[in-house]
Amino acid sequence: MREVISNIFSRPATIQYPREPAAVSSEYRGLHYPDLNKCIGCSLCMVDCPANAIKMVKLPPDYTNPKNPRGIYPVVDYGKCVFCYQCVFVCPVKAYITSNKFDMADYVTHNSQALSLKTIRKGDKG
Amino acid sequence: MAKYVEVPVGPQHPALHEPIMLRVKLDGEVVEGVDIVTGYNHRGVEKLGEKNSWVRDIYIFSRICGICNAVHAQTYTQGVEKLMGVEPPPRAKYIRTIVMELERIHSHMLINAVMAEAIGFDTLFMLIMRDRERVMHLKEIITGQRVHADIHIIGGVKRDLKPETAEKVLRVLDYIEARLKHYKKVFEEDYTIRKRLEDVGKISKQEALKHSLVGPVLRASGVPSDVRVDDPYSAYDELKPNIVVRHEGDSLARMLLRWDEALESVRLIRAAIKNMPKGNPVPKAIKRAAGKGEVFSRVEAPRGELIYHIVSTGGPKPYRIKVRTPSFNNIVNSGFAYIGERLADVPVILTSFDPCISCTERVLVVDEKKGLRKWVPFMALSRGEIRVA
Repeated sequence: MREVISNIFSRPATIQYPREPAAVSSEYRGLHYPDLNKCIGCSLCMVDCPANAIKMVKLPPDYTNPKNPRGIYPVVDYGKCVFCYQCVFVCPVKAYITSNKFDMADYVTHNSQALSLKTIRKGDKG
Repeated sequence: MAKYVEVPVGPQHPALHEPIMLRVKLDGEVVEGVDIVTGYNHRGVEKLGEKNSWVRDIYIFSRICGICNAVHAQTYTQGVEKLMGVEPPPRAKYIRTIVMELERIHSHMLINAVMAEAIGFDTLFMLIMRDRERVMHLKEIITGQRVHADIHIIGGVKRDLKPETAEKVLRVLDYIEARLKHYKKVFEEDYTIRKRLEDVGKISKQEALKHSLVGPVLRASGVPSDVRVDDPYSAYDELKPNIVVRHEGDSLARMLLRWDEALESVRLIRAAIKNMPKGNPVPKAIKRAAGKGEVFSRVEAPRGELIYHIVSTGGPKPYRIKVRTPSFNNIVNSGFAYIGERLADVPVILTSFDPCISCTERVLVVDEKKGLRKWVPFMALSRGEIRVA
């Protein structure tokens, strides 16, 4: 009986998700993409990815990084990714930028290419 | 000759949450026999494990089961560590233990909630699931995700436990402990729950041992057996868990035993945080190749004893990994427990075994001719080689 009364006056336990933001902690393993200023193209993340979600592609022709002699960088396919963060863990130069963004369901497929290429421009400007 | 009515319960049935089929033979309302048919959820995980590297397999095998994923990862990782001769740092062992015990609490809360729903007590289901969300949140702040911990790595863990996170865990545990005690009292005292569960699906000590049942089902029948005590792994040799045993052997005893175990897990997490050694639990480099040999690794999952047999012929990939999950024993061998009960009690008894079908089904039932029934390989059926008359 006490349980009933306390529950009548308590806040609702659920949230109206699309209208209210979901409470996700900052520790959450969400969207992640490689920073091309740091990436050395070693392909370790591709080797360890259990979902085969990472492919190595060539850097854009107008960008060269002396630290990246092979000129390749990883692209994460978020449709395949299981967000185990093995790539983030195994990266020898800690090139992955992580976030707690989780709402990636969409009609089109997403990958990390556009986000990674943005990091180049940031680096060029700075 | 007695004539039976055969009632198929499942594989898709409102009382069951996962695809398993019980062919229940009835004489009136009384169950005369149960055929347990599995094989609806086969995914070929063991073969997939043979084709991937040692590191990738941590994530593949932890995805056998959603609820006990850290336990699967622990069993696999400790086996591989033994094979490679790697010893994880003591702090990593404690962090693994905390994650596994949190998993035990939320697993036991889940099955008790499902039991409340199965007997028609939906409010209790909602309340337990609301409080279970707090435990899931603790797992999220420690590991990074509510369900899949993915914190194990060969030779340690992937994340350190921050002091402020540990404080928050202790704070939430106070709330969880009060709620667990409350729910245990509800299960002990509620008239409806007692009527539905008491003396239903009784398993004696001899029967439980004879049919090699494991985990809470075995302990509720009065057998003190727990891998955490019998063969300590991770930090359990220092934390010294107490074995919870009940002697009634009925469905109610199995559910109450789970509440007691969840309370014991709360104590273990508190002790682990208090006695946590200092040091760096995150390994700098991962070992990627193992020598020749085979290991046998076992862990107490929330549902019972989980066994991995790992064979290596050297090199970057395992040769063979055999997984024996606790649900396999508890579901397939427990057909005798239904005999003599009413049809309405069948879902209750099945739920009290805490069935985890996705754990169990890595085996395919191969064709076997039994009277009119024919069990055929799934692939042969899909290729159209077998005609169903």
